[in-house]
Amino acid sequence: MFTKDQLIAPVLGIAIAMALLVATPAGATAPPAVAEPVAEKSKSTADHSKFEELDINFKSGPEVTQACLKCHTEAAKQIHKTKHWSWEYTNPVTGQKLGKKNVINNFCTSVTSNNSFCSACHIGYGWADDSFDFTSEANVDCIVCHDTTGNYKKLPGLSGHPNYETMEWPPHSGKFRPPTDLKKIAQNVGPTSRKTCGTCHFRGGGGDAVKHGDLDSSLENPGRYLDVHMDSEGLNFSCSRCHVTDEHEVSGSRYAVTAADEKGVLIPGSQDTRNPTTCVACHGNTPHPDKMAKLNDHTRKLACQTCHIPAYARSTLQTKMSWDWSTAGKLDEQGHRIQLKNSAGKVVYDSKKGNFTYDRYVVPEYQWFNGEVKFTLFGDKVSDDEVVKINDFQGDADDPDARIWPVRVFRGKQMYDKGLQTLAVMHTAGEDDAAFWGNYDWDKAMEWGMRAAGSEYSGELGFVSTEMSWPITHMVSPKEDALGCESCHTDGGRLAGIEGIYLPARDRMPLIDTIGFGLALLALIGVLIHGGIRVILAKREG
Amino acid sequence: MLKVIIGFIAGIALLGIVGFNTAGSFMMVEHESPYGIEETAARIQANIQKMSHRGWTLSGLRDPSKAVANSGRNVPPVLLVEACSTDYSGVLLADDQARILSIMMPCTITIYKKEDGKTYIGTMNSGLMGRLFGKKVAAVMDEVAKDQAEFLKFDDSEPAPPLIRVKPGGGSAGGPEAAGC
Repeated sequence: MFTKDQLIAPVLGIAIAMALLVATPAGATAPPAVAEPVAEKSKSTADHSKFEELDINFKSGPEVTQACLKCHTEAAKQIHKTKHWSWEYTNPVTGQKLGKKNVINNFCTSVTSNNSFCSACHIGYGWADDSFDFTSEANVDCIVCHDTTGNYKKLPGLSGHPNYETMEWPPHSGKFRPPTDLKKIAQNVGPTSRKTCGTCHFRGGGGDAVKHGDLDSSLENPGRYLDVHMDSEGLNFSCSRCHVTDEHEVSGSRYAVTAADEKGVLIPGSQDTRNPTTCVACHGNTPHPDKMAKLNDHTRKLACQTCHIPAYARSTLQTKMSWDWSTAGKLDEQGHRIQLKNSAGKVVYDSKKGNFTYDRYVVPEYQWFNGEVKFTLFGDKVSDDEVVKINDFQGDADDPDARIWPVRVFRGKQMYDKGLQTLAVMHTAGEDDAAFWGNYDWDKAMEWGMRAAGSEYSGELGFVSTEMSWPITHMVSPKEDALGCESCHTDGGRLAGIEGIYLPARDRMPLIDTIGFGLALLALIGVLIHGGIRVILAKREG
Repeated sequence: MLKVIIGFIAGIALLGIVGFNTAGSFMMVEHESPYGIEETAARIQANIQKMSHRGWTLSGLRDPSKAVANSGRNVPPVLLVEACSTDYSGVLLADDQARILSIMMPCTITIYKKEDGKTYIGTMNSGLMGRLFGKKVAAVMDEVAKDQAEFLKFDDSEPAPPLIRVKPGGGSAGGPEAAGC
């Protein structure tokens, strides 16, 4: 037994140690300087500012195109065959007619009946309605991809044209854009760049960082942490470095995703016509060194992006996470449009569009994906009893072509024709009196939009919850920032929802657990029996 | 006597082990936020401004993750909201013995994201820390702790306020007194 002193001693020790507790101040470090944009010097053999054909005070975009075509005689013909021009793509497996022209998304929803606004991102001039001449070479917009001045801007509402006269932009802002200096721009054309591609692809869905999550204006001049390939002070890849272009057709469309590339490195100059934008096309199927060989086994089930893009929207820009159209149309007491902003200055409510939510540094969701995508198109039956998948990624654990992919799932609530049970095409933008953004009249806008899509509005407007998935493939981290084992091999880890595979540390096998715990229990019992016998024997001898 | 000494040493050792493993969680307190990074920071800033009658002003908003990003590494976003009340700092700075505590000024609340994608708020356990430095400091830090608890009370019915991009060392709330905090 212990005496009173023996019991007090440990308590006294604790008290003295508490009294001696000291705090240690932390040091501070100065932030390093921010990287300056890298100005690229042109390596072209042609100085366009010396061409007589371009020494003209152009009055319109098509005039510039005609001047370009005097030398680049086949360019427009090539463009006419591309998805960038037609906004159409027919999936060879499912037969579905896709492309911007046909797909209804859960952002601005549909191009149909809204062409004059949406065509601000079309590589053509004049697509205001169905009468647009897709065979006209002069209608091709060369500048939007080849401008190097940064002063060329196609404004929504001008059917793909830049402003040729002074124009207030944004509307009612009191700011004015001078007429576009087409001569100067034409004399300074050059190769495509992150900035030119980003003019549309960073700003899809109505603004910077809205649509993709892994594409935004921070990639115009990114640091290494944001994208190890595009790092402006490092590899400095332009988009076309991976999205290799052949006769103006850009590879790597999300309508034809290569989810698993098992053919290894694509040798430059080879006749292999497979998609060159995959990670494997450069890094091969066993990219990790021998000492990390176990990671190479993972490529049989994981897309590279799963580990190497731990989060998207990693700059300070917030990406849109959801869009609820059902709340659109509310006006203030004076009947004026309402716009509310969040703490970061992003609009979270707009009478024209409804409610939004945003986030940054977003951890992706994960799912099996074999490259096949089934879209819910206009005319397909939908109901508000279930969440409608705008695009359903196919594949499962048993599919040899499927890999686990990081995915951004954009959630929304959007218009549908309750009577016809189909996603709605609504006329949102335009100068006429039926456009929702002008009159906030749902029925009128629906009637106009549905008619433009070749249908008659039933008169019953409904809202349906939707999900649209986007494979995450840009914003590749440096290798030291790739996910570690513990991110997935744990209970409740990133791959918690992935079915069809046994994931050590996430999953358990009851038989092995029983055997293991049984052996441990037997060992404990053995120790206790052994110890007990020794105590008994010691007492007998003592 | 030997048992007494052994017991005493064992007590210190036990405290050392327990203290080593739990001291961090005693000194720092972590809460999950229902909002995103910017909105959490903005709501805290707004609450701090509501406490101006207790001398509180905003004295900075820092983003240490930006500096890390500039050095080429990825870290989830972190925002540090800095605030100071001369009602409290004045008492501590006037005292030779307590002046070293200026190292903890201004009062900082951190808002950050974790791997799980959620936003968290981290604060110092001001009340407990104050007790380590004597009665006078404890009394001041107890008041700071009470105010700090008010900073973290969010009113859902209030719309998200704008984030105030106040430069460190400045007094965004307009109080020139904040610059010295």
